[in-house]
Amino acid sequence: MGAVNRIIKILIVDDSRIMQNILKNSFDEKEAWGKTEFLTASDGEEALKVMDEHLIDILLLDWNMPKLDGLSVLKKLRQSDKYRQLPIIMITSEAAKYNVIEALKSGVSDYIIKPASRKILIDKIKGFILGT
Amino acid sequence: MKKEYIMPFVESTQNVFHEFFGITPELDTPYFVKKEETLNWDVSGIIGIAGESKGVIVLSFNEKVAVSLVSKLVGRKVTTLDEDVIDTIAEVTNIIAGNSKKGFEEYRLKISLPSIIKGKEHVVFWPKQDIPILSIPFTVPEGKFMLFVGLEKKITNDILL
Repeated sequence: MGAVNRIIKILIVDDSRIMQNILKNSFDEKEAWGKTEFLTASDGEEALKVMDEHLIDILLLDWNMPKLDGLSVLKKLRQSDKYRQLPIIMITSEAAKYNVIEALKSGVSDYIIKPASRKILIDKIKGFILGT
Repeated sequence: MKKEYIMPFVESTQNVFHEFFGITPELDTPYFVKKEETLNWDVSGIIGIAGESKGVIVLSFNEKVAVSLVSKLVGRKVTTLDEDVIDTIAEVTNIIAGNSKKGFEEYRLKISLPSIIKGKEHVVFWPKQDIPILSIPFTVPEGKFMLFVGLEKKITNDILL
């Protein structure tokens, strides 16, 4: 499997600190793609602030959050040229088909229903980083 | 009681417990709450439901069960209802509510952010309106916990009758 020669920055946006840790702990550098740096935010507003200050490679985005929800963040980012191609994976408890469709129509790159299995999460992120 | 009404909640609960705590809770016999129960809880996660049916989902634990479960998840011995316990119960309640929606697609349900009630041996009181409250009891090796589901008669009638 290939690796990338730079640090991959992943922003995890979730109002649950426990969930942020579960997602972070899903990664094992030895079997993944190389060095990874994690950034975290607890709501949509904080996520947009972090993105003003850091160039990120992948966004893992919860849906239900205080202040600004994940769907609103997604729509806002897709309106900007800078973020039109950014891999955005929504990781949410929202399992109804109409929720998935709404996220897809709003430009989400992928959709994972919580509780996210580690393997599915890693495979999807690998796909975006390594283009597999 | 029709299985279609209960199973989305049961499956969502068993699934999230399996992923988070590595155990599958055993389902006991569900029943409708007739009046306030004397089962006393120490911590409850609450999610409001809106959309084409309204109601509430409540997940209740006693302290012993809650701290043992969260100890498994965070890998340290949790002894009180601390921030990690509150955060975990909020997230588990959110996942159960969000996952259960797929069993009721036609009602276009929306879920609120979770709230947590903490208090030694609290009792959950229910609105006096016409909302049947279903109690779904589960057993895990650490003890018992309960999922309460209260949805307007509109949805319960559609599905139960």
